[in-house]
Amino acid sequence: MPERNSDFGRFGASGVRGSELVGRKLDDLAGGIATPVTAKRGLMARLNYLTRSEHARQAARDAGLTVTDRTLKAWLEGKRRPSAKNLKKIDDAYRVGRRQNVARHLLKRLNANGGTRVEIHPLNQSGVARPLQRDVPFRHMNVRRWDRIVGAWAAGDHHGLDAAWTDDILPDLGSQYGAYEYCTNVGFAA
Amino acid sequence: MSDFDAIDSLLASVGPQTDLPDPEARRALREQAQLSKAQVARALGVSPSTVSAWEAGRDPAGEVRVKYAYLLDGLSAKLATDTTPETEPAVESTAAEPASSEPEGGDEVEVLTAPELCVLCGRPAGVRVEGFAQHLDPAECQDGTVEARPAPVAGRPAPASKPSERAKGPARRAFQEPSGPVGLIHAAVEGALAEHRGDVEAATAALLKKAIPDAMSLLDETRKGARYDVIAHPAIPDILKKQTSRGADQIWEARPKWTRAELPPGVHEVTALDINGAYLSALKTHLPLGQLEHTTGMPHDRRRAGVHLITPPVWEHDAYLPSPIGERDEPGPLWVTEPTLRLLLRLSSPKCGLCEAPEVHESYTSGATENLLEKFRITLKDVRDTAIADGDAVTLEYVKAMYSKFVSTMGESNYNRELYRPDWMHIIRSQAFANLWMKALKAHDEGLAVVRAMGTDELHVIGDWRRVFPEGRGVTEVKVKDLYTAGTDTMGEEQ
Repeated sequence: MPERNSDFGRFGASGVRGSELVGRKLDDLAGGIATPVTAKRGLMARLNYLTRSEHARQAARDAGLTVTDRTLKAWLEGKRRPSAKNLKKIDDAYRVGRRQNVARHLLKRLNANGGTRVEIHPLNQSGVARPLQRDVPFRHMNVRRWDRIVGAWAAGDHHGLDAAWTDDILPDLGSQYGAYEYCTNVGFAA
Repeated sequence: MSDFDAIDSLLASVGPQTDLPDPEARRALREQAQLSKAQVARALGVSPSTVSAWEAGRDPAGEVRVKYAYLLDGLSAKLATDTTPETEPAVESTAAEPASSEPEGGDEVEVLTAPELCVLCGRPAGVRVEGFAQHLDPAECQDGTVEARPAPVAGRPAPASKPSERAKGPARRAFQEPSGPVGLIHAAVEGALAEHRGDVEAATAALLKKAIPDAMSLLDETRKGARYDVIAHPAIPDILKKQTSRGADQIWEARPKWTRAELPPGVHEVTALDINGAYLSALKTHLPLGQLEHTTGMPHDRRRAGVHLITPPVWEHDAYLPSPIGERDEPGPLWVTEPTLRLLLRLSSPKCGLCEAPEVHESYTSGATENLLEKFRITLKDVRDTAIADGDAVTLEYVKAMYSKFVSTMGESNYNRELYRPDWMHIIRSQAFANLWMKALKAHDEGLAVVRAMGTDELHVIGDWRRVFPEGRGVTEVKVKDLYTAGTDTMGEEQ
């Protein structure tokens, strides 16, 4: 494949895949309950979110929270505490549900007014031997259509998100777009 | 003959000194004409800081003094023309020319069918020269006017045709329609007032609501054609991230919160002074442009800015001056921002010698510039000054909301997601605190007793502060917040 890194980090560069940074940024923008699930406050907030309606309960079940209604009720009333395994399931189900619920609004905001300006901060070359360092400057571009990116993110589809970002969006940078497959930060606002 | 010319010009230069208006008037004239210091400086061939100094009270000398006097004369005449057409702006400029109706060879003279206002005296004139309507006969121009200015002074460079050209020059530049950033603010205010049909309170409330997005678009407007991009979303080092959702990060902003432990003996009248627009002035500071890079054990680089882990020096003057790093309870190294470090370095320099140099352990810095928000700041300052002069409460509130909310939300705020620079937020705040600290030092050096330095803009002093700080509402001036007596009986202050 042209303009792709085949063995990233071989000469000491460090960075994260751009698509993963995009996912993290979208998670930041989606916001949500900040208290960790291990705290009672965070757990109750998540459980309330997941059991607010029958639709929400079904979504939670689909997202992997396969416990009986009786158990949920006991958790909500505080008679029992979920095990560590179930806490993780609750947190994952919450994250999936939150993403799905927020995606539509987020997409609208990102697509509004002709798209969103995205800043791409280049990879960190401080660990690379001097002769092998390349000039990779800071770049920014406008991304007009976010549908595929937000769709893949909401579905939790990492490969889809990576394809949407690296194959569709990144080549719009033009020259040297391959150098931005890995970077230190991807910034945008919604 | 050239020898005699030289002697002549030397003789001319030792003639009586040209009269200049007093410093406030100089500044007022320039600002009324909406000329920047840089424009004036360029025209006179000096640096903008020289113009600042002239406006602060220094007097120019020599040839440049004559030029400056000429400029100020021209401006005052021009401004007087605007209000009262009777005043003759450039009597001698036309009088210096031979009183003939024949224009010079190169001039383009049009005879106007409909008379236009003369650019020199403001009365209808029938002829246009080089695109400017004016009287060809100075007698017409002078009609009914009193010679307001002193006779031409010796040493003034007065070639025959130049003065009239120069008199016209500023007329083209000075009274332009406000456009660009200033126009943006005025348009927003007018729009809000029109929308609420002149209801001042409703318009103000609406403007305050959109102050943050408006400040961001103003920032974009002021960065047009600028050298550096505003980088809004760099990766932020962990020290600048909040440790918990409601917690603080590790940066110490050096906010002063200091009250003098013991007053000088006797009963004193204490004045609580308020620094106007402290955050607005603090926008002029060294801001890191890009992503912050980590360095260890490097000496301070003036061309970079960021945050630094330092061990602060011991402060021995706490009895009469606040510590420049604020009231820090915990000992040991702390993360401070660029303005605090620069303040400490300045105080430790041989010139000040107030403390030892701080020890810098680690830094997160990036290449810096002081001019990133400069146009933004100047725009807001100009609009603020105009609003104060006009008594325009709506614009004043709007401008205040713009800069204060801009600073407070430029970090990790959900109210402004366009800009994610907690480093800038800390640096600008620290700059405001450092500015306040320097004012305290100035007061102390001028013999006032500093009683309290608090927050961003509060300075309590004993003594005749009016000879140290000008009073007013401009950003370089201070206003009185409170006046109280503090007694010696209780050894402490009482309000």
